[in-house]
Order: sequence, then structure tokens, then C-alpha cells
Amino acid sequence: MTSTTLNVTPPASFAEDVFDAFLATRNEPAWFTQLRRDAYQIYLEKLSEELDPEEWKRLDMRTFRPENFEIKVQTEAGASFDTLLQDRAEFAGQVTHVDARTVSENLIEEYKSKGVIFGDLETVLNSHGELLKDYFMTRAVKPDADRISAWHAAFCTGGTVLFVPRNVELDRPLHSLIALSGAGAADFSHTLVILEENASATLLEETVSSTEDQPGLHVGSVELLVAANARLRYVQLQNWNQKTWHLAHQCGRVAQSASLQWTVAGLGASTAHIHQDVMLDGKGAEAQVNGVTFADRRQKISYYTKQAHNAESTRSDLLYKQVLRDKSKAIWRGMIRVEPEAQQTDGYQRCDALLLSSTCRNDSIPGLEIEADDVRCTHGATAGQVDEEQIFYAMSRGIPRFEAMHMIVEGFFQGVYDRIPVEIVRETLSQAVIHKLGID
Amino acid sequence: MEGYEQVALVSDFEGMERKEVIVDDVPVLLIKQEDHFYAIEDVCSHDGQPLSDGPIENCQITCPRHGARFDLTTGEALCMPATEAIPTYDVKIENGRIWLREN
Repeated sequence: MTSTTLNVTPPASFAEDVFDAFLATRNEPAWFTQLRRDAYQIYLEKLSEELDPEEWKRLDMRTFRPENFEIKVQTEAGASFDTLLQDRAEFAGQVTHVDARTVSENLIEEYKSKGVIFGDLETVLNSHGELLKDYFMTRAVKPDADRISAWHAAFCTGGTVLFVPRNVELDRPLHSLIALSGAGAADFSHTLVILEENASATLLEETVSSTEDQPGLHVGSVELLVAANARLRYVQLQNWNQKTWHLAHQCGRVAQSASLQWTVAGLGASTAHIHQDVMLDGKGAEAQVNGVTFADRRQKISYYTKQAHNAESTRSDLLYKQVLRDKSKAIWRGMIRVEPEAQQTDGYQRCDALLLSSTCRNDSIPGLEIEADDVRCTHGATAGQVDEEQIFYAMSRGIPRFEAMHMIVEGFFQGVYDRIPVEIVRETLSQAVIHKLGID
Repeated sequence: MEGYEQVALVSDFEGMERKEVIVDDVPVLLIKQEDHFYAIEDVCSHDGQPLSDGPIENCQITCPRHGARFDLTTGEALCMPATEAIPTYDVKIENGRIWLREN
């Protein structure tokens, strides 16, 4: 299947002349421009190579037409967004991007005075370029990782940067909103989170479209760099409209005794594919990965996850819950990789799928690659339909069918909700589920 | 021609018997067999991957990977490992243009 996506010449809207014109519009340090140029060459090379079949073969990309999307020069004036999170809490800082341009950014003075940097990538590049040079696509997601990351690095349109200095703990969450409003608009936003030693932070990010029917493209990247003893909670709530393509390469690196709690929610997009790596690099590093997916109509939502144990006494715990209805499809290919030196690893991965129709499809493939001999690694996947007897039981007690279905779906997700400590995220997901079930 | 989408020309089939097209964001395989056109969703109901290159015989297409066989007229799954039918499309031809609509 992947051979059908091969195309040695770049799509017209991402051709060399378009790339040069794009560079001319940017106001960035020279090293960053060079990084883009190098990445574009890698992108051209990667176009002629087959996408990794292990990662892509289950995802049908035949209807993908990248030439139908372009990076807009101007954003749609006055577009409004029905966001899930923005007005639900008091955030200590917010960044909003529309059609690949930053339209607002703020951070409370208290955090600024502690040396916290939170804002738009282009602004931070110009104010703290040397700091970013060490981190931007050098440690977590590298431009040569695959075609998507090279494409992203070349055309990166901006994004959100969070830097928390050593020993600074942020007790209030930050919010980042990525929005698309114009038809055929492309967004190549990048999220870079850097926590120095013993820092802590919570970042909630969501993606949203202004309309239900305008096609869009997101080619994104997320880099989460958590230094020793630091603690990061990161949530990405993907809620594009069902005409949008969402392709992303994401990676978290966790150092000694640090912890990362990473929650991804896949609600929107026509086709979404996320390559998500968690690298446990230091002794005692921990990562918890939570996934919530609800796909309907013809949505295709795909995850390719890796929990890499690169040091001893590291712990990873991944739980994905996927609900499907109509003709939707969800794919999860997960791998726990344990290096020879990563003794005393404790790795866990599990993906459960609840199928609400006979025409939806779920492919869940857990995997283990273990090179150490003193570890505990467990994995599993389940898929099943709603038990009609449960519905009957509820209805026999006066609960309408739709409410019974809602209770069953909520109960199914509860196992992952219980792991998300940020209450507004739990509430938001619960509301989104009601909306998806069509009972609000 | 309400509900139909124009996807190809009859003349496209000079010297070939199949063409991959897109109908409402769904990949569809349009097949010509002895002056008759058939259209099926180009996804095997067993493994979810394309049927495009599968051999066709007696109005049946065989999945090139695991051998599942489907009836081109009804979409019915005719042998294991497929158990579910694949969607088919109604084909209309007008002035040399081929139009499709999901059945």
C-alpha cells in the first residue's frame, strides 16, 4: 500500500520555489534557516524512499493529496473556534496559533520573573535563539527520523515553546491552542517543552478547526525534554474537523528520576497518524502514557508508539482506550524496547478497543523487544463489542438505550480517566464523548 | 445523475482493465470485464488493505495477500479468510463518462 504514496517530486505547494519563498517570509536566526534547508534536502530524499511499512501499512494514505494544502500567507480574519479547554480554567499562560500564525500569547508576571519562557517559537527564537539551538530537533525528534519529521522541520510554521528553569515549579497549567480556519490551510506547528533539573509544569494543548467542512493539514512535532528529577504533565487534545489530516512525530525524553505523564486524545481528523516515542534515558525515569480515542464516521486514527528503556530501573506504563463507531478505523502499533543495560525495567502497555458497530475496524498490535534479562514487561490488547445483555439490563431498569450506551462508554474510558490528574481534561473528554455519541 | 460522481472516461480503459479512483474520499477499484464495468471499494474486508493488484477471474477478485475472494457484482465474500462483504458501487455510463454511486 505504501508504494502508492511514493512521489519523488514534492507536491506543488511544497516545491523548491515555494520553500524559498516561504524562507523569505521568515524572521529567524541563520542557524535555524540552515536547519530548514538541510531538512528540505532530507525531505526530498525521503520522498523517494518508501515509508516504513511496519508503521504505515495499515493506514490507507491513497486519498491524501498534499498538493491541496498550502501554508497560508494570511489568516482568516475573525474566525471563531469552539475550543474544548480554553475557557474551562484559569491558565497561567496561553498561546494561540491560527493557520500557522501566532495571534496571541501571554504569561503571568510571577512566572516570567522566575525565568520561565512561554510563547511563540519565532519570538523565542529571536530572544533566546542560543538556548533553543541546543534543543530544537537535536535530541528528541530529529529531521532525518522520517519523511514527516523532515517535512515538518523544513516548513515549521511556528509553535509553542515552554522553558522552565532549574528548581522552578509551576503550580498552574499553561494552555496552547492550534487552530485552522481557511480551506486548504496547512499548519506545521512545533511544540517544544524543556524542563531543567527539578522543575515541574503542566501544559495542555488542543487543536481545533473553525468550520466543520474545510479541509486542513497538520504536520506537527512535539518534543518534551524532561531533565533529572523534573516532572512534566503534557496533554494533547486533537479535535480537528473531520476533513483534516493530522500527521505528527512526537518524542519525550526523560532523564534520571524524572517523570513524564503524557496524555493524547484523538477525537477529530479524517486521518490521523501519530508517531509517539517515549525515551527513558536516566536511571529511575518514569513515563505514563494515556490515550483516549473516539472515532466515528470514516475517521482513521493511528498511533505508532514506542517505550524505549535506555537505562536501568526505568518504568513505563501505557494505556490506550479506543472507541469506534460507524465505519471508522483505529490502529495502534506499540513497542516496548529494552536495551541491554536497562536492567530492572518495569514496562507495561495495553490497548483496549470498544467497537460500537459491525463496520468499524480496530488493529491493535502490541510488541516487546527485550535485550536485558532482569526485567518485568507485560503487554496486551483487547477488542470487543458492547454486550447487548448489558444494554438490556439497563433498559429493564428504565434507563433509555442511548443513556445505557453512554454509561457503558464512560465506564470503558473510566480506567484511563482515573489516571489523568487534571480535572478539566477529564471533564472535557467526558463532554466530548457525549458529543460523539450524539446525545448532547 | 444525483448522488453519482464522475470518476473516469470509457476511453481510459483502452488497453487496460482496471483503474483506481476516489469516490467521496474512499478508494474504489473500477474494473472492466467483457464490456461490463464493476466498481468495488478497494479495501479487503479481511486485512483492510488494497485489492488493486488482485487477480480477476469469473467476475471474482482475489486478494493478493491472503487469497480472500469477492464477487464483483455483489461484493460478497466467497471464501476465507474474508467473512464480510465489501461495498459495491452502481456504475452509470453517459456520453463516454463513467459515474459511480455507492450501493
